[in-house]
Parts: sequence; C-alpha cells; structure tokens
Amino acid sequence: MKEKSSELAVKSAPYYGGKLEIVPKIPVRSLEDFSIWYTPGVAAVSKAISMNKELSFDYTWRWNTIAVVTNGSRVLGLGNIGPEAALPVMEGKSLIFKFLGGVDAFPICLNVSDPEKFVEVVKTLEPGLGGINLEDISSPQCFYILDRLRSEMSIPVWHDDQLGTAAATLAGLYNALKLVDKKLNKVSIVLFGAGASNIATARIFEKAGVDMSKLILIDSKGILHSERDDIDELMLHNPWKYELALKTNRAKVTGGPENALEGADVLIAASSPGPGKIKKEWVAKMADKPITFLLANPVPEMWPWEAKEAGAAVVATGRSDFPNQVNNSLVFPSVFRGALDVRARTITDTMMLKAAEALANYVTEDKLNADHIIPTMDEWEVYIYVAAAVAEQARVENVARNPLHYDEEFVRAKKIIQRSRKILMSLMEQRFIKPLPKVD
Amino acid sequence: MNGIVYRKASEKDIDRLIELNIRLKRLNEEFDPLFKLREDIVEKSREYFQRALNSPDSVVVVAEDGGRVVGFIKADVVERLFYEPKIEGNIVEFYLLPEYRRKKLGAAMLDYVIKLLKERVDIITAEFPALNEIAVEFYSRLGFRGIVSTYARES
Repeated sequence: MKEKSSELAVKSAPYYGGKLEIVPKIPVRSLEDFSIWYTPGVAAVSKAISMNKELSFDYTWRWNTIAVVTNGSRVLGLGNIGPEAALPVMEGKSLIFKFLGGVDAFPICLNVSDPEKFVEVVKTLEPGLGGINLEDISSPQCFYILDRLRSEMSIPVWHDDQLGTAAATLAGLYNALKLVDKKLNKVSIVLFGAGASNIATARIFEKAGVDMSKLILIDSKGILHSERDDIDELMLHNPWKYELALKTNRAKVTGGPENALEGADVLIAASSPGPGKIKKEWVAKMADKPITFLLANPVPEMWPWEAKEAGAAVVATGRSDFPNQVNNSLVFPSVFRGALDVRARTITDTMMLKAAEALANYVTEDKLNADHIIPTMDEWEVYIYVAAAVAEQARVENVARNPLHYDEEFVRAKKIIQRSRKILMSLMEQRFIKPLPKVD
Repeated sequence: MNGIVYRKASEKDIDRLIELNIRLKRLNEEFDPLFKLREDIVEKSREYFQRALNSPDSVVVVAEDGGRVVGFIKADVVERLFYEPKIEGNIVEFYLLPEYRRKKLGAAMLDYVIKLLKERVDIITAEFPALNEIAVEFYSRLGFRGIVSTYARES
C-alpha cells in the first residue's frame, strides 16, 4: 500500500502542481466589483480596522486562517531535509486542516535554523493570522520555540508533533483504561522514546493527573532518572527532559527497558520504526492487563499481534491499517476549528485536555472495545464534538475574544466543516479538480 | 527539604566525593572545551581529596540526605600576599545533585562552610567557569561580585 501511495504521490505532485490554491469567496460580477473588494472601497475597511484592530478578525479572512510553519529541520522520518523539501508535507497538512476542520491553512517554509530567529520571524506574522501551526521542527529546539511563541503571541500556537500526538495518545489512554478498569492517577506508565511527542505526552499526562513519580521515560541512553550521568548536560541542553528527569522515576529504576516495564500498567512507545524495538518478554513482565501503544511509523516498535501474544490487553499503533490508530489528524483540525471560532488568544493545556476527553468520549460505551478505543478519521462528526469542547473551555477560561457556548460552536463547526467538504466534492464533480492520474 | 545534614567530610566519603567531583567537572566541560576531562581524573580526584582532608588549609563539607551524600563544597584558605583583606576563603568546588537544587540547599551548604571558615578568613571567593551563568546568578544573588577574570587561549 505504501509503495502504491508513493508512486501516486510522485506522479500527482507535478500533475496537479501541488495540492492547494487560493480561490475567492466573494462574487465578482464584473471588473467594477473590484472597486468594492479592492481600492477605493477597501480603504474604508482598512480604516475601520486601523481604529479597532480586533475588527481584522471580522473584516478579513483572519478569523479562519492559520499558517503551517516549518524550517524543515525534522520532516516526518526523513530528518533535516530543508524547507523546500518540507513544502509538500506542509501542503498536505494544510489540506487536512481544510478538509477535516474547515480551516484555511497555508504553508510557510522558513530558511531559518536558529531557534531565536525562528521565534522572531513567526512573531511578526501575527497581524495577518488567526493561528500558527508549527510543524516538523527538530527536538529539542521545538520545545523552546513553542514555549516562547505560546507565551509571546496573542493567537493560538500549536506544534502538532508535540501536542497533537500527545492529545490523541491521552484520548486513547482514557478509553484503554476504562477497558482494563484502572485509574489514570494510579497507573504506572513507561514512555519509550523521548522525542517531541513523548516529552509533550509526559507534560500533558502530568496535567491530566498522572502520578509522575511513577512514570518512567526511556530515551536512546536508557532509563531517565535524576542522577543519570548526563543529567547536568540535559540541564543545559534539554531543560524539558531535565525537568521530567527530576519529577519522574522516583524509585530511580536503572538498567534496560525490561527493568522499567516490569510491573508497569502502560507502555507508550514513540521512538523509531520497528519491528523488534520492544521485545515480547518485556511486555510479558508488565502488570496485569497491560496497555501498549506502539506509535512509531511506518512500522510500530513491535507488531501489534506480538504485543497481544505477550499479554497486552489493549494495543494501539500509529497506523490506519491496524485497529486503534492514535492519529494527530483526529485532533488538530478540530482544536483549531474551536479555537478560531472563539478567536482564542491561546490554546491552553486544559483546552487540550478537553479535546482529548471529547475525542475519547465520542467512543460510547456500547462501541468501546479493545479494537476500538479511539475514533477513526471517517467518523467526521467527531471533529464537531472536539471543536465544541475546545471552544467551550476557551470561554470558561476567559481566553476567547468571541466567547461561544458549547451548543453554539457545535452548530457553527458543523456548518463550516460540512461546507468545506461540500466545496471540494463540488469542485471534483465539476472537474475543476481532475481525477487522479493512472499509475501502472 | 528536611533532613539534610551538613558536616565535614571524612575518609569514608572519598569514593562518593570522587563521583560527585567528576559530575562537577563534566558539567564544566559542557561550558568550555578547555575543561575537557583528563583520562586519569579518578586517580587525580582521589589524591586531591586525600590531600584536602589532611590539610589544615582546606575544608570539605558534604550535604547528606538519609545517610547518602548528595552534594559537597571544597574551600581553601589562602593568603592574599598584596591585598587587604589578607586571608581568603576560596570555594573551589561546589556540586549538588539536581533534585536537591532550587530548594535553597546550596545556599545553606555555603552558609555552613562560611561559618566554619569565619574565624579564619576575612573574604570569601568562589571559582567557576566563566560561562556558567547559573553560578553567576547564584553567587550574585548571595551578594558576591566578580573581582578576578581568567582568560585563556591554547598556546
């Protein structure tokens, strides 16, 4: 399947010349109308905004427009391939934003590797945008960039590789725990891999009430603890991991992954492609009814059936061809839908928690089972529920410029997302969008 | 954090002192390649602490948590040949394990050392890598200021 999609992608890229274009949304009956949309008419609109900058959200596309920003320093599993090579990925991301969330997103690929400069450049983009989605930026710079932009900008800033995956993971975990009848604040969790997503996952787990003293992080150097040999180096070069080293693994477990996994309730692996990264005998040593999330793509750290054979009660992966796909595409379109609709100044951690809860609760008790702990992307209504939960929380927390109640956002999000899908369908029907090229 | 005890180090602490000293030196190495660790750092550390523990002009203090040494300071008493005040207590090593930091324990340990030295010295100084901003911040907060600069280049 992967080979076929690669072939199609390479053929389609020049065939369509990328994936997005800008299409007007106002009528142009004749060139006369440009006097409304452009000068002289537009001057009155500009004047109004200059008197009250908030009007830029009402009078322009700002209410619904975000930038997908990268410097191409860590693109998918391809590494530092540069901003040009990142562009097709950013286009794809923008496409998903539009199709699933009705969000107008466009790619910005920056030729900037210095985090300081990156922050400065992105900050200057604020006046024209409703939000920023950071993408494919190497770790640990991505933590610094996100933390700074979140605190210094007055529009939502999201780094999907961190937050999107973390929120989807938490949603999956909420439901997996229901199945094995364990409590989030009681379980012992092992995070295998300490890249952008698992560091963010640890941070959101803490907010969700996980007992951090029992959580164990494992990175390429082994089990993390507060007295590991490289701890002072981490303090200087990866303060995010350092902070976690101080909070987690109070028992100071050392040794190989098997020592960390012994008696653990939950394993969240987000490391490098398997199989064979996690061994069956390690999973066999976990507590009763263990939960294993094996999120590496394209091949999970161990095959899901191996995890099951070793006794795992619930298994999730990052892949759509196995049950339980922990997929950040379930999160970011709706988080931005909700955040944009209330014109949120930021996306808080609690808004993220609410998104994860809404995502989990969409799988109702009658549908919840070990092979269905998280919705799939086909269940498009889930986006409406998540958007409404995010908007509602933004209002409760007073970060909404345009507060909306849950029901109001539910109706609004539904309308916008439906419209977005209908427009694409209609363009396809009318052959403005050509069918996919044939591959042999 | 309660239960932290400060005391003078003795022979039985030497292995742990070596371990913590190497952590300290590795941290220094992070700041500047001119602090690259020697291969024989273990032996050199052992000799260093043995000498210090037997010298009337050195003080080695450890912080202990439940019987486990979690940090140390080494200070030397030095005569300033040309200046007033004449006798200096020079803090040359200072290390505290990460989980004991940011809890005012470092300041408390320093206080303990200064009390031990008080009768003998008129001025307290501290040495650390120029690029260690954490140390700059720490000592500045406690009222210290820079009086000497060491500049280096590889010949």
